[in-house]
Amino acid sequence: MSPTVLIARKEAGEILASGRGQGWLLALSAILSVLSLLLVSNTELSLLDNAQVVYMMMGTVTALGALLAVALGSDAVAGERERGTLVPLLLAPVTGTEIVLGKMGGQVVAWFATYGLALPYVWAVGSSGQNLAQAVGYLALFGTPVVLTFGFYAYGLSARFVSVRSALLTALITLVLFASPLVMGPGLRDNPIGKAFDAVNPFSAALNSFDSVVIDSQPFTAQAGRLAVAIVWLALSAWFAKRSMERTEV
Amino acid sequence: MLVEVTDLRLSLRGRQILEGVELHMGAGEVYGLLGPNGAGKSTTLSVLIGLRAGSGGRASVLGFDPWPQRREMHRVIGVLPEQAGFYDWMSAPDYLLWVASLYGRDQLAAQVGRRLHQVGLDPVARAPIATYSRGMKQRLGLARALLNDPRLLVLDEPTNGLDPRGRREIHDVLISLSRQGVGVLLCTHLLDDVERLCGRIGIIHRGRTVVEGGLAQLLARRQARSRYRLRMPEPPAAAAPFPDFKVIAREGEWWHVEIGQTGHPDAVWSALLASGWAIAEIHREGGGLESLYLSLTNEDLKA
Amino acid sequence: MKPVITLLAACLLAGFAALAGAAARLDMALSPDRSNPSSPQMGDHMRFISVIRNGGDTPAQGVVAWISLVQVDPGHEQPMDLEDWSAHKAVTRAVLAPGEQVTVDWPMRVIQAGDYRVVISAVERDTPHIITSPFIDFHVRQKPVVESARILPVALGVPLALGGLLGWRLRRRR
Repeated sequence: MSPTVLIARKEAGEILASGRGQGWLLALSAILSVLSLLLVSNTELSLLDNAQVVYMMMGTVTALGALLAVALGSDAVAGERERGTLVPLLLAPVTGTEIVLGKMGGQVVAWFATYGLALPYVWAVGSSGQNLAQAVGYLALFGTPVVLTFGFYAYGLSARFVSVRSALLTALITLVLFASPLVMGPGLRDNPIGKAFDAVNPFSAALNSFDSVVIDSQPFTAQAGRLAVAIVWLALSAWFAKRSMERTEV
Repeated sequence: MLVEVTDLRLSLRGRQILEGVELHMGAGEVYGLLGPNGAGKSTTLSVLIGLRAGSGGRASVLGFDPWPQRREMHRVIGVLPEQAGFYDWMSAPDYLLWVASLYGRDQLAAQVGRRLHQVGLDPVARAPIATYSRGMKQRLGLARALLNDPRLLVLDEPTNGLDPRGRREIHDVLISLSRQGVGVLLCTHLLDDVERLCGRIGIIHRGRTVVEGGLAQLLARRQARSRYRLRMPEPPAAAAPFPDFKVIAREGEWWHVEIGQTGHPDAVWSALLASGWAIAEIHREGGGLESLYLSLTNEDLKA
Repeated sequence: MKPVITLLAACLLAGFAALAGAAARLDMALSPDRSNPSSPQMGDHMRFISVIRNGGDTPAQGVVAWISLVQVDPGHEQPMDLEDWSAHKAVTRAVLAPGEQVTVDWPMRVIQAGDYRVVISAVERDTPHIITSPFIDFHVRQKPVVESARILPVALGVPLALGGLLGWRLRRRR
């Protein structure tokens, strides 16, 4: 079995099988449950139609996935350094690229666990509305590159910074910046600066695609440009993680 | 030669950390690397095990250039770092199985069990490593270093956290390995361990090797000169009338001196007193490795 | 005798007439705003405009006007609590001079499907009865919204299941 797969399996086991990992999933489900219960109990929210609610749920799941990716990525190298497990890993006959890909494999598992956890909620809020199948598909299609972009980015910071705290703080600030379209309405983004930011922001690419597909029923061809933005960011952040790993100091 | 290091230099962020380290070690030898805190021992090890590249000089480990050929070298060396970290949520056998599979080893389970038994740990324990004591983790670290049947074992403070019986057990393991032809490079502060295990030593001070050689030869040379500590409230009026008498250092009223083989101590004291040296006390200082180590690394004493 | 009674009656009538003429007389008109959706559905915003005019000879003192909404679906007739519909439920005016009128906007968000009747009511201090505007009837269409029957089992079930799994793991470890 390749070292990448071995490391990914170990990471996935730590995330899913350990008490800490299951605690994470429980916390995520609690957040989604609170949001769902607000949808039925709050008058303002309960007037939203299904498509809007599904869109809101997709944005929330993507943001939560990115948050988890940032937490895992920030710990990936700096955490191992702090716990004394980085040196043994570097002394194994494993390349830096294999370590990066293995750890990110663990993040892929974590994201798909989050995605799987969110599916019942998406079904529950959207089953009597439109474009539910598209919502499920596009959440995976756009959510995956956006989440992994932040995962790779946090990994790169973790390799460069000595402490988990520094890496996590920097990654969270970046995440809040890029996820700001989630809290700002379209009106606030309707100016030259907002539009320019929207055009290059992978989070905006995902949200605008969710809007376009689920609410406006637009086809895939209308989303191709946005998907390209998300994939370019993924490639850039993966390169950043690889370069950072090569310069890791022990 | 298993390990050959000549004039190794390393600078980090504009600071010269290593300024000429020498290390020469053959197969089956147990080599002790000594030095005060901050001397550059761990940095030297990090270069030799391929964790960082040196800035100058030459290093060869099992015929490999440590930095560019580190992947190949890692397959044939075993390392126990000073800070032995593990994935605490795993059990020891599961952890070693995972490490062994990174090396692509066949017959993993048997090898894991054998090494755990060799270091005195239960091969079938299911408890997570988080429940292990410091000594147990140290043993587990040694088992990890031995998993790939290394030709060279590099150990940084291997008996940290072990009780006297545990230390003796680890010593026995290391002696047994050296008899099988495995080289053991040992970095430690415990001079007792060095005296018991090591055939060769090197002492590093301020990033430079100050002495290297066979332990027995170095100590024999050391014994040729006797060292004393004299208390003199007033500095001597005249120089010592002996060529083979040397003042090493001074700490206030205390003077550290050496008398060579040609001088008999009693005759030396009589002559010094007669020439006006107001010696109030005379104490003999211990010979052996501690004395050698202190004399070569003592930068606080001023002559 | 007959002339006396006639005269008394005339005086009484004149007196009542005088009283009536001396009181303020509030007239109210109510109309929907032009921007209201022609076929509103749940969640839409609507606006009604009332004009309150003092048609009497004397000032109207302490005028209070309020909006009322009633559901008129057969079998579901009931007054509606405007708590979630509108924050603007009443206006007051200390004095409304003779001939003066005041225009009041009544915004609301229609949050439930059904047939409704809206009316504005008013009182002033010296008039012993309530004055009402004409009714406006409107229909609010249903729209598909989130169904609590699906959400509750998921919102409660998923965390419970995960929590149970975690608890089982912890117990097994002990």
